[in-house]
Amino acid sequence: MNIFGHDAPGVEWTPDSDSEETMPVMPLAPTRLHVDPYPPACPSCGGELGVDGYCLTCGAKAKTLREHYEMAPSDWVAGVCDIGRVHPHNEDSLDCKALDGRAILVVCDGVTTSYGSDVASMAAARTACEFLWMSTPQGLGTPESREAAVSATLKEAVARANEAVIATTDPSAPGSAAATIAIGLVEGMDIVAASLGDSRVYWLPDSGEPVLVTKDHSLAQAAIDSGTARAAAESAAFAHTITKWLGADAQDIDPYIASLVAGSPGWLIVCSDGLWNYASTAAALARVVFAEPSSTPIQLADRLVAWANEKGGHDNITVACARVIPPEEVPAAEESSEEIPKEVAPDDSAPERDTTVLRPKSVPTDETEQRDDETEQRDDVTRPDIPVTPGPASQTTLTTE
Amino acid sequence: MAIFTSMVYQNEFLADGNTDVNAIIRIDCAEAGVAGQSGAGDVGEIVIVDTSASMGLINMQAAKDAAMVAVDTILDGTYFSIIAGNHSAYLAFPRVTSGPGMVRMSPSTRATAKQAIAAFRADGGTAMGSWLLLARSLFRSIPSLAGKHAILLTDGENHNESVVQLDAAIRQCLGEFQADCRGIGVEWQVSEIRKIATSLLGTVDVIPGPADLPRVFQELIARSMSRGVPDAQLRVWVPQGAQILFVRQVSPTVEDLTARGTGVAPLTMAFPTGAWGDESRDYHIAVRLPAKEVGTEQLAARLQLAAGASVLTQGLVKAKWSSDASLTARISPEVAHYTGQTELAAAIQDGLAAKAAGDDRTATAKLGRAVQLAQATGNAEATTKLGKVVDIADAATGTVRLKKNVEKADEMALDTASTRTTRIRG
Repeated sequence: MNIFGHDAPGVEWTPDSDSEETMPVMPLAPTRLHVDPYPPACPSCGGELGVDGYCLTCGAKAKTLREHYEMAPSDWVAGVCDIGRVHPHNEDSLDCKALDGRAILVVCDGVTTSYGSDVASMAAARTACEFLWMSTPQGLGTPESREAAVSATLKEAVARANEAVIATTDPSAPGSAAATIAIGLVEGMDIVAASLGDSRVYWLPDSGEPVLVTKDHSLAQAAIDSGTARAAAESAAFAHTITKWLGADAQDIDPYIASLVAGSPGWLIVCSDGLWNYASTAAALARVVFAEPSSTPIQLADRLVAWANEKGGHDNITVACARVIPPEEVPAAEESSEEIPKEVAPDDSAPERDTTVLRPKSVPTDETEQRDDETEQRDDVTRPDIPVTPGPASQTTLTTE
Repeated sequence: MAIFTSMVYQNEFLADGNTDVNAIIRIDCAEAGVAGQSGAGDVGEIVIVDTSASMGLINMQAAKDAAMVAVDTILDGTYFSIIAGNHSAYLAFPRVTSGPGMVRMSPSTRATAKQAIAAFRADGGTAMGSWLLLARSLFRSIPSLAGKHAILLTDGENHNESVVQLDAAIRQCLGEFQADCRGIGVEWQVSEIRKIATSLLGTVDVIPGPADLPRVFQELIARSMSRGVPDAQLRVWVPQGAQILFVRQVSPTVEDLTARGTGVAPLTMAFPTGAWGDESRDYHIAVRLPAKEVGTEQLAARLQLAAGASVLTQGLVKAKWSSDASLTARISPEVAHYTGQTELAAAIQDGLAAKAAGDDRTATAKLGRAVQLAQATGNAEATTKLGKVVDIADAATGTVRLKKNVEKADEMALDTASTRTTRIRG
């Protein structure tokens, strides 16, 4: 039985060959997909991003293209829309277009206390921008008729943005979606601004008085109108409660409209409160804008967003800016034009601010902290996909006289 | 198909200038299935029995009984071999001198294997390195094997090989197969057997008496047969410029895997974890990052359990630099617990080694610290076993006195149990 004799408990076995196996090299496998796409490369190091947005080289977390996006339709117009540092979602939206001396800048701020406002604000911004791009009247007739036509077109743009909000969001969701809108139009040196809610348009000339062109529809503005100092009104508990908005439950979507003629080169800034919370007056914003030598529009927008983030980034931050320069680049010594914005075609029927209907944009926790702590109210359930399909009427053009 | 889930425990907040991130990942496996029948490939089982002269009649008979129980427990269809080891390694079954060195279990191979086991006689010396190398070659003779597991029984020191020879043999077997090792009696060296077992991703324990041997073998084989996932590795990605400080399994036992990593992809090291059944394991990973400015958030490590090309589960370890001391000062309770358990294992082993070397002062200090840590981390088994080696005056402060007459078996039981950890309380 035992071929090696009784001392051995078994046989001596020799392997045929003892080839070395090599361990296979495996790449990191993907795990799960997010709804929103990430940029093509890591913003920090340029490395490849994993499907969860973490850089496969440096580990930095990239923002999704909804959380941060930039637009630069021309060398004199650009914008940046950013989630900020505190809010879990970006409910701001930005759209802008520019060709030759004409530009349209739209910023919308989705209301945090309602559901689907990120979708609503995107639909509103795109719809308004697209509509204005197709239909802005181009200097026909007398200045007065043109002004009235522009005003009517802006009102129509806001109305269509409102339809787009209603069309793209779920009316049965708790707290119907809502958003602000601010529009800046540039036609040569002519500037027209419109706003509903508390997103703003500023005109910051290189020399001369900086101007806040729009007027908020907010309880803070109401307090200012009745004599409260701006700083006190804007830091009060009710400061972020807006009195007009876009959305299914909006009662008044008549925008504030103002126009001016730029007398010198300067920056037109359209922004959400994520920026102006840290520099509300035109003079304060001008100090930030001109703190560094004038740069390209995208550099300026990036810098302002970074600055607001450094200040805490407590809300979503959106900045669109246009570098307005006189045609043929006539330097200084131009005849000084009127730079005080005048309200165009004020709505004479209803009082402009209807404070019987209020819409808190965010819920402040207490009076001293409310600017720093805008509590996120809604549940993060399934979020509708981005990008948004514009409302059904968005392609129609409006003929004006 | 096995279902893996994982959870990461850490404090991701780092104070300004801090660079080290610690995290525990708990990996759970469910529905692992049966070894060799989950479609993941064949499995092989080798039983290695010490047949040296020191085994004597009683232990040899118990070992034969145990090996037969093991053969009974190995499932039909599993490839198996029986190695008889003394100062040389013999293939007791199957009786082939070349070619495939393992056969599939069936009623007939089982019966023949038992006849071969029945012929074992205690004779000769001990050269465990040669046993391991034979097992390695036998496993390699069956290319289809995905899971490879051995159990090794010994009763004595590795007299017939130098430490260098044994270490070289262990090194050649790294990643080749897993081995659970058991010692019977009090003549074997815990440190020697632990070296084999931890290197080969297995366990080490003492078998109290010959009567326990069949039950222990039955349990070891049954557990191996329940591991439906034959092999998996823990892959650790860290960002460019970062450094993996250590990777340890910390539950159910402490096993340092740091030196076992191999590069599998850019910035990614893979650490062996062996086969998985329905079980839960914890791993402690420490990573050193380049310091970043306050406010920066980044991924510190991406942890994946992977089998072949497929990722079974993933956990993310994050780092956020903050100036808020209330956030950065916290230590994750899980990290603290296992840091204590790891120190406990080291304190017990160092204390027993000092005691064996006659350094009573060091032994008292180390075992005192071990008592303190066992109490603090709620490790009742360690406290009980420590109580048989030292008189505990005050567990909270670690005040102990070495016992005058300690049973060798109690010391060995404490030593082999030192790496077993408890889960965090609550």
